[in-house]
Amino acid sequence: MTALTAIRRAEAAPQAAQDLNGILHLLTCGSVDDGKSTLIGRLLWDATDLYEDQREALKRSGRTAGGSAHPDFSLLVDGLVAEREQGITIDIAWRYFDTESRRFVIIDSPGHEQYTRNMASGASHADVAIMLVDARHGVKRQTRRHAAILDIVGVKRVILAVNKMDLVDWSQERFRAIEADFRELTLRFGFREAIAIPVSAVNGDNVARRSEVMPWYAGPSLLEHLERLPPRDSTPAGPFRMPVQMVLRDGLDFRGLAGTVSSGCVCVGDRVTDALSGQSAHVLRIVTMGRDLEFASQGQAVALQLDADLDVARGAVLSALESPPTIATHLEARLIWLWETPFDPRAGYLLRTATDLTPISALTIKSLLDLETLAAQPAEACTVNDIALAGITLGRPVAIDPFGANPATGSFLIVDAATGASVAGGTISAAMSASETSAASAYRLTREMLEKGLCRDLGSSEEDRREFQRRASEAALLLHAAGVPVKLEL
Amino acid sequence: MTVQYSHLDHLEAEAIHIFREAAAQFRKPVLLYSIGKDSTVLLHLARKAFWPQKLPFPLLHINTTWKFKDMIAFRDKTARDLGLDLIVHVNEDGLRRGINPFDYAPSVYTDLMKTQPLKEALDKHGFDAAFGGARRDEEGSRAKERVFSFRSPGHRWDPRRQRPEMWELLNGRLGVGETVRVFPLSNWTERDVWRYIAREGLEVVPLYFAARRRTVTRGGQLLVLDDDRMPLQPGETPQMKQVRFRTLGCWPLTAAVLSSATDIEGVVAETLGAQTSERQGRLIDHDQSGAMERKKQEGYF
Repeated sequence: MTALTAIRRAEAAPQAAQDLNGILHLLTCGSVDDGKSTLIGRLLWDATDLYEDQREALKRSGRTAGGSAHPDFSLLVDGLVAEREQGITIDIAWRYFDTESRRFVIIDSPGHEQYTRNMASGASHADVAIMLVDARHGVKRQTRRHAAILDIVGVKRVILAVNKMDLVDWSQERFRAIEADFRELTLRFGFREAIAIPVSAVNGDNVARRSEVMPWYAGPSLLEHLERLPPRDSTPAGPFRMPVQMVLRDGLDFRGLAGTVSSGCVCVGDRVTDALSGQSAHVLRIVTMGRDLEFASQGQAVALQLDADLDVARGAVLSALESPPTIATHLEARLIWLWETPFDPRAGYLLRTATDLTPISALTIKSLLDLETLAAQPAEACTVNDIALAGITLGRPVAIDPFGANPATGSFLIVDAATGASVAGGTISAAMSASETSAASAYRLTREMLEKGLCRDLGSSEEDRREFQRRASEAALLLHAAGVPVKLEL
Repeated sequence: MTVQYSHLDHLEAEAIHIFREAAAQFRKPVLLYSIGKDSTVLLHLARKAFWPQKLPFPLLHINTTWKFKDMIAFRDKTARDLGLDLIVHVNEDGLRRGINPFDYAPSVYTDLMKTQPLKEALDKHGFDAAFGGARRDEEGSRAKERVFSFRSPGHRWDPRRQRPEMWELLNGRLGVGETVRVFPLSNWTERDVWRYIAREGLEVVPLYFAARRRTVTRGGQLLVLDDDRMPLQPGETPQMKQVRFRTLGCWPLTAAVLSSATDIEGVVAETLGAQTSERQGRLIDHDQSGAMERKKQEGYF
């Protein structure tokens, strides 16, 4: 155990028996060989509560990094046998460590371009991203690709860790040149904060401690900077949203709408609405096991009992009456294609929003992002790792928000109806209601038509209504697959 | 209104969210209950997720018949007290063939008495989703697990075919023949589990607390003799020692640690200052390099 760890552990002990103050999710990304795994390993080694058997295993491994006298820190992070054998990181790995006041979740993402989709999925969970570059090579194509993905998935804070400063003789000039490239790059995106830090992961310079060999750098070490960042959910902003996950029942008297508050907060007595059906009611109780709450805010999982028995089920988004989500049938979106199977305009796709699953009647790729120029190039096809602008027309309306205003109700997955695979993930740039778009050419599949035939064996129980929805969606998908644009009117 | 939530509040809410997403999307889920501390937390969170409704799925325990007696007693009491629907499944064929942890390599024993009967039970009851208490901080291959971990027909885990998970969106649409393992405690650490048990005042198997127990030392590991089924080797004499367990499994394969922590506060303090990771006490994981990853591919949790 290093002296620093001993001190930290001693300091942490009395306080750590209590809860830590929030969680910071930290993504690390970079090109192959920039030394991500080494950087994380170094953070774990220097800053935290690594177990003695893990330290021993590392020392025993007999491998050293780059011929230096240090253990190979990357072995702490590369978990899968295939990865250890190939020496690359193919999937995101999750690591957890605590400092005195905070839980850090490190999401280590792969560098290889062919695993960019894994990087994107990792990034969607992050509050802050560390982008690694090799001081010898500076900002590259992959750095631009990663910046674009971070921007799309909503990461607002980025740190450029200019690694391997030891290999450029700790040159300030080199660092400043890379920093300038980085500034120019980040200005194109919507980041709230972007800083660059010169580090040497192998030697630990500016990782958990300030470097003594780069006196020209006056900024914080990586860990110092991370410890200053605000935790997630510290200020519930935005209007109230709660996507309904399911309806809970207890006897005849209790019917609770279960969900996680995804934005804002709600108090007992508030009037809430289901924008999709236009119904509204007051909150009678906010129920959790053991005790009722007076209010619930962003991030809390609760069940709401209302003063009127609304016909609301999974997929509805409860909201504040005065600022409801958009009820949309047409979406403009940015998406990342995640699956090996390319986009097929004739395949059946479903839109997975917070808790809803809606048949897509038309998915159109409009352009792809060119990662060299960061310009949009007109396109119709889309395949794995592509970043596209797309138009989505839905078989029935959904409650949705622009991602910038409300990330939890403004993000989505595109699901392959046949295999269930999540083929793309994306964010809403604009949502338009049925009245704003022309659906005149679409085939109208109405409740009445379904009741007469396909669904005539179904009654009005909740189970039957779900089955009705399912059959309607499947029918719409089949028609769509046959080339018929469909509008579901249920 | 600014409210400060602790990391445990955040983890609790996340787990409840996952339980509800799974219960809403899968046809017939089951909770894999292994009696230990993680299962205790898992069960508590499941009850919170659906309260005041009763749990909308049963519990399944795969009994190898080599569990500590205290574990079985705790399991039955828990099921009774909470009115739970508990299914216990044993590999009867393995039992008849006398498969045991002494005469068979740990990997063979685990496969026959845990992995195979688990798959058998899931198939027999037609469960399409199984909740498990696995955590990403336990071991290298688990660090890469998804919250919804898909298994191809035959329950095989292919790390390269896992679906990307983005934001809080959990896609539970199954392909033909696919099933899923659901891990609500993915982002919890061992320390969180204990802190949460203390905070919520949960009851756990008494084996987690230090007491004087009959032990032998074998291969550098401290084993507690729970009954007389373990043949002693020459020179081994059982000794009474003050020990407890950090992890519970089959007693001949689970090492104890010397400890003076006789209550939950003691255990929390010990866990926060622990020097070794908990799976150190699991002998099956040390069997071969990449042991856990291989077991997972074959259908183990």
